[in-house]
Amino acid sequence: MFSSVCKFLGNPAPLFLLLCALPVLAGFIAWLFRSKRHGALQMATVLVFGAANLFLALSLYAGGGASGSLSFLGEEFDLSMIVSGVSALMLLLTAFVFLGVSAASCAWFRTREQGGLFLLYLFISLGMVNGALISDHLGVLLFFWEGLLGTLSGFMLLKNREKPATALKALAVSATADLLLMLGIVTTVHVAGTSYMSEIHLLSTEGLGGVGLVLMLLGAMGKLGAYPFHSWIPDAADDAPTPFLAAFPGSLQKILGAYLSIRVVNGLYAVTPGSGMRLFILIMGGITLLCGSFMALAQKDIKRMLAYHTVGVSGLILMSIGSGYAAGLVGGIFLLISHVIAQSGLFIAAGAIEDRTGSTELAKISGLSKLMPVTAVCFIVLSLCSVGLPGLAGFPAGMLALGAAKSGGIVFYLIGLLGIFLATVAFFKMIRSAFFGPLHLPKGHLSVSEARSGMLVPAALSVLACIFFGVYSAFPVDRLIQPSLGLFEELSGYTLTITLFVLPLLMLALALVDHILGAKKGGAPQATAHMEGLPVLKQCYALAQGGKLDPYNWMMAAFSGFADACQWIENGVSWFYDKGIPGFVTGIATALHRYWNGSISRYLIIALAGVAGILVIFLAVML
Amino acid sequence: MELLKIIPYIFIVAPLAALIVNNAVPREKIREHTIFMSGIVSVLQLAAALLGFILLAATGLDKVSFGLLWDASLPNAAYFRVNLISLFLLMCIGMVSLVSVLTALKTIDDHRCSYTNLLMTLLLGMNGMLLVSDLFSLYIFLEITGISCFVLIAMYKSTKGLEGAFKYLTMSVLATIMILSGLAMLFMKTGSLAYADLNADVLAGKDDSRTWLCWGAIVLLISGFAIKTGAAPFQSWLPDAHQSADTAISILLSGIVIKIAGIYGFIVLMKLFGELYALRLTLAIIGLVTIAFGALLALVQTHFKRIAAYSSVSQMGYILLGLSTGSPLGLIGALLHVFSHATFKTTLFSNAAALHEQLGTLDINDMGGLQKQMPVTSFSSITSFLSAAGIPPFAGFWSKLVILIALWQANEIGFAAAALGLSILTAAYFLRLQKKVFFGPVNPRWNGIKEIAGSIRFSEIALSAVSIGAGVCFPLILLYLQSIGLI
Repeated sequence: MFSSVCKFLGNPAPLFLLLCALPVLAGFIAWLFRSKRHGALQMATVLVFGAANLFLALSLYAGGGASGSLSFLGEEFDLSMIVSGVSALMLLLTAFVFLGVSAASCAWFRTREQGGLFLLYLFISLGMVNGALISDHLGVLLFFWEGLLGTLSGFMLLKNREKPATALKALAVSATADLLLMLGIVTTVHVAGTSYMSEIHLLSTEGLGGVGLVLMLLGAMGKLGAYPFHSWIPDAADDAPTPFLAAFPGSLQKILGAYLSIRVVNGLYAVTPGSGMRLFILIMGGITLLCGSFMALAQKDIKRMLAYHTVGVSGLILMSIGSGYAAGLVGGIFLLISHVIAQSGLFIAAGAIEDRTGSTELAKISGLSKLMPVTAVCFIVLSLCSVGLPGLAGFPAGMLALGAAKSGGIVFYLIGLLGIFLATVAFFKMIRSAFFGPLHLPKGHLSVSEARSGMLVPAALSVLACIFFGVYSAFPVDRLIQPSLGLFEELSGYTLTITLFVLPLLMLALALVDHILGAKKGGAPQATAHMEGLPVLKQCYALAQGGKLDPYNWMMAAFSGFADACQWIENGVSWFYDKGIPGFVTGIATALHRYWNGSISRYLIIALAGVAGILVIFLAVML
Repeated sequence: MELLKIIPYIFIVAPLAALIVNNAVPREKIREHTIFMSGIVSVLQLAAALLGFILLAATGLDKVSFGLLWDASLPNAAYFRVNLISLFLLMCIGMVSLVSVLTALKTIDDHRCSYTNLLMTLLLGMNGMLLVSDLFSLYIFLEITGISCFVLIAMYKSTKGLEGAFKYLTMSVLATIMILSGLAMLFMKTGSLAYADLNADVLAGKDDSRTWLCWGAIVLLISGFAIKTGAAPFQSWLPDAHQSADTAISILLSGIVIKIAGIYGFIVLMKLFGELYALRLTLAIIGLVTIAFGALLALVQTHFKRIAAYSSVSQMGYILLGLSTGSPLGLIGALLHVFSHATFKTTLFSNAAALHEQLGTLDINDMGGLQKQMPVTSFSSITSFLSAAGIPPFAGFWSKLVILIALWQANEIGFAAAALGLSILTAAYFLRLQKKVFFGPVNPRWNGIKEIAGSIRFSEIALSAVSIGAGVCFPLILLYLQSIGLI
C-alpha cells in the first residue's frame, strides 16, 4: 500500500499539493471551527489531517522516496522536489511529532482565545516545513524557510499585539539568520553554478566556498536555535502560547535546522574532519551547549528552563553533526529524533501544568504528583530521557553524540559531559520542586485535576516512543538513520566504553548527589543555589540577568550606536548648512560691509586698485 | 519703411520738445501737468522703440542711419543710427522712465518741473548714447547722462542726497578721466574713433610701437565703464547714491542708468574689440567678483533700497558674464537680463516707494508681517524676488539661463558653475528681505497701515504682470528672436 501511494506521490503535482497545500487547507478548516462549540470538530480536523500527513510521510519513507518537478513559466523556473534519504526521514519525524503537538494545541486552546488562528499558523508552518524538506531548488527552499518567518511572527503576536517586544526580537534574530542563509545560498549557487542541491556535490571550502558554507550553517543555526540566535526562545517561553514552544523551538524549527546542517556538511560541501570548518561548527556547538545548560540551571520557571535546555541540546546536536564522522551524523540525527520527541512531550506536559494551575513558576507550584500523576510520570520519564538515562532513547543518542564530540576533540567531549551534568541537576530541581513535597498551588486554585486527554495522550505517546527507541536502539540506528544516510556500519558496539558509558552515568550520579546536598539547605527549589553562587558563574548570571550576554541586545546596542553616529553626522551636516555656511558667508559680508565704510578716499583707492587689477589681468594674458 | 525713418527722430525730438515746453511755459501753469508731459514722452519712447524694433526686424536691415540737421550719407559725416540692440535698450529706457514717472506722481511734490527737466536731459543723454556711431560722441552723451543724475540725486539738498551725489560725482570724474584718457590713447593709435574704423586688428596693427598704448586705453575704458556700471570693485558709490535719492530717481538709476552708462559701454567695447581674449577674461572676472560682492554686501544691509542697490550691483555681474562670452547668444542673454532686471528692480523700487509712502521708513528691521496689510506690494515684491533668484517661469530665470548656456557654449564652464552657485546668495538676501518685511511677526507699530493706492500700485501690478507674462511667453520671445536671425 505504501509503495503504491508513494508511486502516486512521485507525480510532481500531488506531491506538492498533498504535502504543502493540504496542510494549509487543514489550517483553514481548523480555523473555521474556531468557536468553542465546535471544539470536537476542530480536534477531529486536526487529528484527521495530522494522521493523513503522517500516512503520506510514512508512505514516502517506506516507498523509497519520490521526486518530480513542476515547471512554471516554461523552462524558466522549475519547482523541483526530491524526497529521499534524510529528507524522507525528517518528513516522517515532522509528521509524527506534529500529530501530537497539534492535538495538544487544540486541547490547550479549548478554553482559550485565538485557537483558530494558532492552528491556522501551525498548519501553514507544517506546509512550509514539508515544502522546505522536499524542495531540491535552493531558492524554493529559501522561500519555504522564509515562510516560517511569517508564521513565527504571527504566533508571537497572538498574545502580544500591544507589546510586541518579544515578537520583534524573534523576528529580528530569525530574519538576521535568514538573511545570512540567503547570502550563503547566493554564494553557494555562485560557487556551484547550479541552484539544485541534487546537482551540488562536495564543493570545496577554500575561498568563497568557505564563506558560503559558514553563511549557510549560520542560517541553519538560526532555525536550530543555536548561539547566537537563541536568545528569543526563553523570552518566547514567557510571551508566546505554550504549545508554540512545543511546535517551533521544540520540534519544527529544530528538525529544519538540523536537516539543513546535515545537507550542508554531508553533501553540499566537502568538509574534512579536523578542518577549520569542523572546528568552527564544534566551537559554535560547544558555546551553545554551555550557554544553554548554564542558563537552564538557574531558571525558576519550568517553561524557561525547558527553553534553555532545548538550546543546550541543539548545541550537542550541532557538535555531533559537525564532528565529521559517520557516527557523528548518525548520533546527531538520533539525538535530534529523541530530543524532538522528548522535548515536545516536555513542553506539552509543562503546558498541561500551566493549563491546570495557571503557572509554571517553581515558587507557585509543588507536590503536583498527587493531583496530576500521569502528567508527572510523563514529565519525569521524558526528563530522564533528555538527560540520557540508560533504557531511554536519550541514552544511546547521547552516547553516539558524545562519541562524535570526543573524536572532534577532548574539550568538546568534556563540554558534553558538563552539559549532561548541568541538565540533570536542573531537571532534578524541576522535578522535585514541582511534583514532590507538600502540595502548593497558585492563588485561586484550591485543587486541580489531571491534564486533558488531548495533552496527556501526546505526552504519553512521546514517553512510549522514548522507551521504545531506548530499548530497541538498534532499530532507529540501523533501520532508520543509517539507510537514510546510505551508511551501513556496525555502531552497536560503540556504546560500551568507559568514556561513553561509565562517565556519563557517573555524571548522572554526581548530579543526584549534588542535588541532594544542594537541596538540604533551602529545599528543592534552592537546590542549584550553591552552584549559581560560584565565583565566576555568579557574575555571569548577574550579567545575563541584565541582558548583557544577549547577542540580540549587543546587536541592538550596535544599531543604536550606529543610529547615534548617523545622528551625529546628521547634526554635523545640519550645523554645516544651518550655521557653518551662513556664518561663513555673513562673516565675509560683514567684513566687506565694514570695509566699505563710506569714506570717499577709500573708495578712490579701491577703484585705483581695481584699475591696477585689470592691468595685471591684461599683462598676464598679453605676455 | 517710411515710418522706420521717422521713428528714430522721436528719441531726440520728444525729450527736447518737452524740455523746451517745460521751460517756455510759466512754472505756475505747467506745474500741474509737467509730470504728465514726462509720462507722455516716456510712453511715446516705449511705443516708438517697440514699433521700431518690430519694423526693423521685419525689414531685415542691419541699421537705420540718420542725421539731425545734416545729411548722414555724406562721406566721413558723423551720423546717428538705430539698430536692434539700441532699439531694445531704448524700449527699456521708456519702460523704466514710465515707472519712474508713475512713482514720481506720488513721491515728488516740490521740484516737479526740475524733475521733468532733468528726466528729459537724462533721456536725451541715454538715447544719445544709444544712437551715436563713434566713441567720442558716446562720451559726450555719457557726460550728459551723468550730470543729469548728479543733480537728480542732489535735488532735495538733503545731507544724504548731497553726500550721495558728491560720491557719485567724484567717482564719475574718475571715470571721465579714465574714459577720456583711454579715448585719447586710442585716437593716437588709430586716428579715428568711429565704430566703423575700430576693431581688434587695428589695435595690433603693423606698427608695434604703440600697441601698449592701445592696451592701456582698453584698460582705462574698462575701468571707466566699470565705475559707471557699479561693477566690483568700483561699486562703492552706487548704494550711497541710489539709497539717498528719491525713490522715483532710484528707479531710474538702478533700473536703467547704470545699464546704459555702463553696460552699453561694455557692449560697444565687446563689439569693437571682442576678439581680444584679455578683454573677455577681464569682463568675466569682473562679472564674477561683482556677483559675489554685490550679493554678499546685500546680505548684511538693513535699508530696503540699499539692499536693492547692492542687488543691482550683483545682477550687473551676470550681465557682464553674458557679455564676456563674446558670442551672439551671450549678448542676447545680457540684453534679456537687462530687460528682466529692469523689470524686477523697478518693481522692487516701486515696493520701496510704497513702503516709504505708507510707513515713512525703509529700515527692514522695523518692518515685519506686512503681507496682510499690503498684499499687492507683498505679492509684487515676491514676483520680483523670484524673478531675480532665477525661479522658473519668471523672466529672470530665462535670461540667466541663456547667459549660463552661452557661458557653457563658450567653454567657460567654471564661470558658469560659479555663477550658478552664487545665485544661491541672491536667493539668500532676497529671502532675508522678504522675511523681514512681509513675513514673520507683525510689528504692532503698523497695525493701521493700508495698501498703497494709485499710480504706484498700478505700476507694481503692471510690472509683476510683465515679469510673469514675459517669463511665461519667453519661449515665444526666443522663437521670435530666432526668426529674425538674432540667435
